[in-house]
Amino acid sequence: MDVFNGLMQGFAVALTPMNLALCLAGCFLGTVVGVLPGLGPPATIAMLLPLTFKMDPTGAMIMLAGIYYGAKYGGSTTSILLNVPGESASVVTCLDGYQMARKGRAGAALGMSAIASFIAGTFGVVALMVIAPPLAKLTLAFSSPEYFALMVLGLAMVVLLAGDSLTKALLAMMLGLWIASMGTDLFSATSRFTFGQIELLGGIDFVIVAIGIFAVGEVMANMEPEKPLDMLPVPKGLKNLMPTWQDMKDCRFAFVNGSVLGFLIGILPGAGSTISSFLCYGIEKAVSKHPEKFGTGVIEGVAAPEGANNAETAGALVPLLTLGIPGSGTTAILLAALVLWGFKPGPLFIQDSPALFWGLVASMYIGNLVLLILNLPLVALFAQLLKMPGYLMYPLILGVSIVGVYTANSSLFQLGLMVGFGLLGYLMRKLDFPTAPLILGLVLGDSMEKALRQSLMMSQGDLSILFRPIPAALLLIAAFLLIVPLVKQFNSVRVQVIDKEA
Amino acid sequence: MHCSQTTRRYGVSFIKTLIAFGAIALAGVAGVAHAQWKPTKTVDVIVHTGPGGGNDLLARAVAQMLEKEKLLPVRMQVLNKTGGNGAVAAAAVAERKGDPHTLGFITSVWIANPLTTSEAAVTLRDLTPVARLLLEPAVFAVRADSPFKTLKDFIDAAKAKPGELKQSGGSVTSRDNIIRQTLQQHTGTKWAFVSFQGGGERLAALLGGHVDMMVIEPQEAGEQVRAGKLRVLAQIAETPLPGYPNVPTLKQAGFDVVATPQIRAVMAPPGIPKEALLYWEDLFAKLGQTASWKKYVADNQLEDSYANGAQLGKAIDQIEKDMRVQFQQAGMKLAR
Repeated sequence: MDVFNGLMQGFAVALTPMNLALCLAGCFLGTVVGVLPGLGPPATIAMLLPLTFKMDPTGAMIMLAGIYYGAKYGGSTTSILLNVPGESASVVTCLDGYQMARKGRAGAALGMSAIASFIAGTFGVVALMVIAPPLAKLTLAFSSPEYFALMVLGLAMVVLLAGDSLTKALLAMMLGLWIASMGTDLFSATSRFTFGQIELLGGIDFVIVAIGIFAVGEVMANMEPEKPLDMLPVPKGLKNLMPTWQDMKDCRFAFVNGSVLGFLIGILPGAGSTISSFLCYGIEKAVSKHPEKFGTGVIEGVAAPEGANNAETAGALVPLLTLGIPGSGTTAILLAALVLWGFKPGPLFIQDSPALFWGLVASMYIGNLVLLILNLPLVALFAQLLKMPGYLMYPLILGVSIVGVYTANSSLFQLGLMVGFGLLGYLMRKLDFPTAPLILGLVLGDSMEKALRQSLMMSQGDLSILFRPIPAALLLIAAFLLIVPLVKQFNSVRVQVIDKEA
Repeated sequence: MHCSQTTRRYGVSFIKTLIAFGAIALAGVAGVAHAQWKPTKTVDVIVHTGPGGGNDLLARAVAQMLEKEKLLPVRMQVLNKTGGNGAVAAAAVAERKGDPHTLGFITSVWIANPLTTSEAAVTLRDLTPVARLLLEPAVFAVRADSPFKTLKDFIDAAKAKPGELKQSGGSVTSRDNIIRQTLQQHTGTKWAFVSFQGGGERLAALLGGHVDMMVIEPQEAGEQVRAGKLRVLAQIAETPLPGYPNVPTLKQAGFDVVATPQIRAVMAPPGIPKEALLYWEDLFAKLGQTASWKKYVADNQLEDSYANGAQLGKAIDQIEKDMRVQFQQAGMKLAR
């Protein structure tokens, strides 16, 4: 009953005209920020923070949270239309989303991304409300050995992301792991692979790599044919743009997968939304009846990661609000904002400030609905973008990429890196190397290395720390993932041999 | 005659007075011009963290306070020059040689980074010190159910089981590790230092019982203490913090060590005009007197610690000297 009373109190707070307007403003701003590559929620929230000093804190928090989850809705737009990830968590969406757009199904992809976001986002808020406090305590059992195993499990997904050749996929992953190791080492303050460049001391931001390899590489590959470039097909009529009932049925499992797993990864302070979207994509492919079609434009490949990164947002608020632990860049700024407004984020926060907590929860229900209503009509608008001829489309992709990278870093060096990775992406396409494993290695490599070293520092070098129950279970699943294709291959060879003998 | 003489005398003295006045007025104008260099266009504040990082938030809060208190006639905008753990930002400030409309907000990272990283070529000696704003205090915290009731308990346990206790913290060059080195040196003990990238992960590791101790910001620890999750053993602060009246400082806890202070300060590019330096020193001194600043310091449980440019320069030299010793003792390779 407590939850019910709290929620009613929350709606009373969230439905005041002022707070409703702020929720709308936050959601709208979030969508815009999400669509623009480079500009992410942390930067936007930090820049708006001074404005909020004069506002009522509850309203301000409702607005800032709106930006946070609103950006996850907008992030998929450029991934699907231009192959430029609008948000780090939308990198995976490029894989199938962009292929869907190439096949004239951009509308369905955009629509599904909004629907999956809505379902998972709402699930996340319900979970935040009902099971947050008890669950939060459990997350503290998760530490470096558990994170290490989780990252290994993520890397094992390379098997699923691989195209025809596992060898090439592994090579691409190794390249990703190598790039992840660049920069100043946290544990010893030594520079690794910086080549005397101060710009490389902080490592390479994976968003730059993703934009380079996906977007710039794609443009280069498309510039090759000398015949005029075809326009992408865009079906007429709003009805034909939207996902069909069959699409919804195909995504049944993706909705559940994205919602539950996204939320669970979200509450872990050391994981993050990019990892959640990769894991959900991998699982979706693992259980799919047609895994071979992933990467060619299947709608589950959009629904799972887009759902995951929305459920993750609600999940990430759990440790922040119930324990006072920020798990990501954005939640760290929200924590700083709460302190600036005179609140005391920590284990007693919900008890001390029920109006803010429940107001925020209620506003997130409203916000998710607002975002669905806001995003569906935009689908029609954005889908028209693809009617552009190639000579407009490809410069647009390049322009968006350049502006995106420059906004985030205001550094020419980083732009150069983007171009370099564009060339790499082009080369990989030519040589038939899959690019997703590279990104996977890059995203997970850094956290995995840190988690392993932290674990071994905790155990004074004793490896048995990696085999306590949770990590052991995760590592077992990873091993299983790696062994299955080998067994399959062995089987098919055996069958061939038997056939020959027969 | 008498009359005219008087007139003449008056005349002369009048002229004299006039000249005197003129001289004073001239001197006055000159004096005003001297003390009153004023920024005439938007001032860029360069920080080394991305939007939302500690230094970025401080710079934005300062810009906001200067505007609210009407202390600065122009706008102040924050430029995020991330990368290289401060090296990119330091280079950006140095590049604006002689530009009085640029400032850099620094932390101790700007001192530590060039010491350990050869690529970070700009040191704070290459820049103009303007003002120290804050000292960041910290506290030693353990879990509330930990057997350690005092810092001495912890040290004794570390002595009994060398290398087995663990502290969670940031980079190996961070203050957390420097204070650990200092204490280990002082007491002849050893415990492990586990680096985590984010503050949230460090706290989660402590709350989850994966490490035994952590050096944490007072504001962050305060809430965990109130909720009965953490216990604070000692504080690293010049004077006991208002939020922790009953917690001993390091010295009071029986450990008479010099804790290298963690500073937040303002630097300017090299070779700015003297009047501009005076203007900025004066501005930040005035800021320190405002109610907004005092509230900010209290809310975040920081230590207000204004010092002018010359004093800041000396403080930086001292910190660098301390760090050099600590890093060498920690077995790190120094770049310069």
